[in-house]
Amino acid sequence: MSLMKSLRAGMWALRNKHMRNAEIDEELRSFLEESMHEKMRRGANHEDAARAARAEAGSAAVIKHRVWNAGWEAGAERLWADLRYTLRRLSRMRGLVSVLVLSIGIGIAANATIFSIVSKFLLKPLPVGDPKTLVSILRTYEHGQCCNNLPAPVFRDIQHMAQSFTGVAAYDELVPASIGGGSKPDRIWGQAASANYFDVAQMKMAAGRGFVADEERAPVIVLGYRIWQQKFEGDPEIVGKPLNVSGHPYTVVGVAAPGFHGMDQILDPQFWVPLGDLGELVANSPKEESRETQWLRTIARLKPGVTQAQAAGEMDAIAERMARANPATDKDNGLMVERAGSLPARDKRSFMLFLVALSAVALLVLCIACANVATLLLVQAAQRQREMAVRLSLGATRGQLLRQMLLESMLIAIAGGGAGVLLSLWSTYALSSFRLPVPIAMDLSVQVDWRVLAYSFLLSLAAGLLFGLVPAWAASRPRISNALKGEDVLASSGRRWSLRDLLVATQITLSLTLLCAAGLFLRSLQHAARIDVGFRSRGVVMMAIDPQLHRYTPERTVNLLRGVLGRVSSLPGVISATTTDGVPLSMGHRSDGFQVPGMPKPRGENVVELYMAGPGYFQTLGIPRVAGRDLGDENPSAQKVGIVNEEFVKRFFDGANPVGHIVNGAGVRYEIVGVVKNTKSRTLGERQRPVLYRSIYQNVASDPSQDGYTLMTRYEGDPAPLIKAMQDVIHSVDPSLAIFNVQTMEEHIHDALFLPRLVGTLFVVFGIAGVLLASIGLYGIMSYSVSQRTKEIGVRMAMGARSQQVQTMVIRKGLRLAVIAILVGIPIALAGARLTGSLLYGITPWDAMTFTTVPCLLLAISLAACWIPSRRASRIDPIEALRTE
Amino acid sequence: MQDEPTELVQGTLEMLVLKTLSLMPMHGYGIALRMEQISEGAFRVNPGSLLPALSRMERSGRIKGEWKATENNRRARYYAITEKGRKSLKSETATWDRQIAAIHKILEA
Repeated sequence: MSLMKSLRAGMWALRNKHMRNAEIDEELRSFLEESMHEKMRRGANHEDAARAARAEAGSAAVIKHRVWNAGWEAGAERLWADLRYTLRRLSRMRGLVSVLVLSIGIGIAANATIFSIVSKFLLKPLPVGDPKTLVSILRTYEHGQCCNNLPAPVFRDIQHMAQSFTGVAAYDELVPASIGGGSKPDRIWGQAASANYFDVAQMKMAAGRGFVADEERAPVIVLGYRIWQQKFEGDPEIVGKPLNVSGHPYTVVGVAAPGFHGMDQILDPQFWVPLGDLGELVANSPKEESRETQWLRTIARLKPGVTQAQAAGEMDAIAERMARANPATDKDNGLMVERAGSLPARDKRSFMLFLVALSAVALLVLCIACANVATLLLVQAAQRQREMAVRLSLGATRGQLLRQMLLESMLIAIAGGGAGVLLSLWSTYALSSFRLPVPIAMDLSVQVDWRVLAYSFLLSLAAGLLFGLVPAWAASRPRISNALKGEDVLASSGRRWSLRDLLVATQITLSLTLLCAAGLFLRSLQHAARIDVGFRSRGVVMMAIDPQLHRYTPERTVNLLRGVLGRVSSLPGVISATTTDGVPLSMGHRSDGFQVPGMPKPRGENVVELYMAGPGYFQTLGIPRVAGRDLGDENPSAQKVGIVNEEFVKRFFDGANPVGHIVNGAGVRYEIVGVVKNTKSRTLGERQRPVLYRSIYQNVASDPSQDGYTLMTRYEGDPAPLIKAMQDVIHSVDPSLAIFNVQTMEEHIHDALFLPRLVGTLFVVFGIAGVLLASIGLYGIMSYSVSQRTKEIGVRMAMGARSQQVQTMVIRKGLRLAVIAILVGIPIALAGARLTGSLLYGITPWDAMTFTTVPCLLLAISLAACWIPSRRASRIDPIEALRTE
Repeated sequence: MQDEPTELVQGTLEMLVLKTLSLMPMHGYGIALRMEQISEGAFRVNPGSLLPALSRMERSGRIKGEWKATENNRRARYYAITEKGRKSLKSETATWDRQIAAIHKILEA
């Protein structure tokens, strides 16, 4: 109340300064008059009374000043005056200010970019109603090992037993479907959810409704907002319209809220169908009754007043009951309760570690930027010694000077923060263009949101305080007598290392560390790109179809694949073509545990990667055959045959010839008919894995692919017309087929390099920023030192020093600083490099190349930064220099 | 023997102004004069401290100011104590009494 009143009165006083002044004047005058009148009443004459009254009261100006100061507005006014003064000062040194703002901007942008990742994946609440009371339930194994999805019966048990929740809902994370409508069929990813999913999530819908209780098996679909906008152009009448979903007639009942893409922060599903229909939509859908197939993600809404810990307690009890009732499957398994929408717990640790490391690097960049700005401000401060001394002798307090200088650095910091946010708009855009080499829908885009803005603002303030305090402290403490004579007191106190030197050396040291990391990652990227993947990636185009989404039976699927393959093979420019169920280097694929009857246990793990291969597979990918025969047009009903790679032979047969042997993979028997050379299966950096290629025609029926089937073609010439021709072939067989994941193998490998590319790019950007900042700093202090030593250099030259000698002298001083900083930096960089070991491909953290190139490069840059000021020094005219004194 | 009048004891000005105004509304000089008279000349209040204090107290709503004509037909700003001012006077007086009593005890120990 009174605060508001005081605020209003203060605002009034500020706006109506004249009136407020007049009021104070009048009150003072009336006081004096009354005082005078009283004295006259006691017998003094008019003149004496007036003089006595004034003498008693003291200076009118002082009183006025004190009355003004009684309110807050005086402080505000002083601040405003300081602000105007500071802005005027800053606008007079535009060049310096823009360098400073850019420095801080780079530092802030680095941090804002990294923080936008943190904000998106760790801080952003789910777009559901009341996200605080929504939890997810996961199954743990082997006494609390984290963690898996729930089997359907476990989910149903929880639904029946749990008392802590108002509702428990489940969904299958990713379900592919081909959605009709629009110009051509599309294959998109969605989720199958229990009918209460939208109620438990308390979702607001953009249009229509979610599922209702009796729609567990109804053919209804909820569309994602984006697909509604893109595919259906935001059709306001969409609700109630029929829609062809993988060949089944569905009815649209609603559109999800904008920005909602499920409970997961990474997956990007675009439609929701009831869970009960899943068997109709996808081949090979998980077994409803199995307590071992863990496939359902589960969310639950806490009852009002029930805490997450209480719910976790109840889940423990339920897990025990289930373990007693189903000892065969549920023994040692537990249930775990987590905030819904938190990252998948099993990836959380490594993800957090990754983010912490990135944040540390970004903070390092900001530290370099701060050191840089502090250096330049110190140089500035040294030049202002005289001004400060004059102001101090005129009666300014040190606090006033400090406040004003801090204001200056705060303004620079905030401007830098603004520049940083602008830069990070661009960098988050660039970051969002990185794609994972996986065939499913993911949303990895990051944006600058209000959390990032707030973080950047706070960080700018902290940076401003950090880099402002040191120069402000130093500048407000001049030795007045020296400073008034115009001497630089900060530098000439006989110290061998001034604060400025120390700051610049720190910058060079830190940027050496960053650059070494950048060098390592670049070298690693270079190596990763040269990793022998085992197949020839050039000249292969790929595209996928998923006939199951179009209600194809296995027999029809096989016929379709045969027919398309035959026609594509005869297209002009095609060298060879084949079909498969999955592209290598997609971060993971089908795998099974294998045994070989009659052979000892394998050395190492028995998990074998399984790829389906049509005729011409090895020729198309250019994988050399070592023994046996190729896979051909195998008979679906004959004994299943397979071709293994050399790693398989090494592990399961100890190098002996396996051709003719039968191997057993999760109950399925394959006869080995050939051996091929090794290829990389999941990722570029992996240790070699055993692979079994099985005939596509023999396995479509028994083990249909979840990702559809991919047509791979090796070609000569231009891929664009070939891609068109291949699509035409597919559509001439069945125009309703959705074609997806159209890309060349080289594009795919490019995506597969995402981790080394991402890390490499980040460090190169950070490293270059650091070096730029450090060289600006070095240049700044060198040119300042030259300008301060003009007189000395003039004397030297008058005494006969040649310009060559002067130049050497200046360069030597700068280089000494750089060399010392680099010598200090190398061990630090080596220590830092040890941490990067697990991210590097094909090189050791002590890569000699990096650790010789980077210091040399830095030295060369330092030399350049000293060169320009040294040229200036060598051109000093002794007569001019001595005259100016 | 009467000493030279001194400045007020630190921190008591606002309380004393409130006390003075609790009898009747007064203008600035009137307050100063009344305090000097009641203290029999022991304390003198000069405008350099009184006027800022009045401005501060008016801001915080403990007193209210109003321009009026004086008995000599000059314009002056009259201050009156508000309800909030009375409350604050009461609590300040209580605090002050406690402190004085404590000081006495120490001095007489």
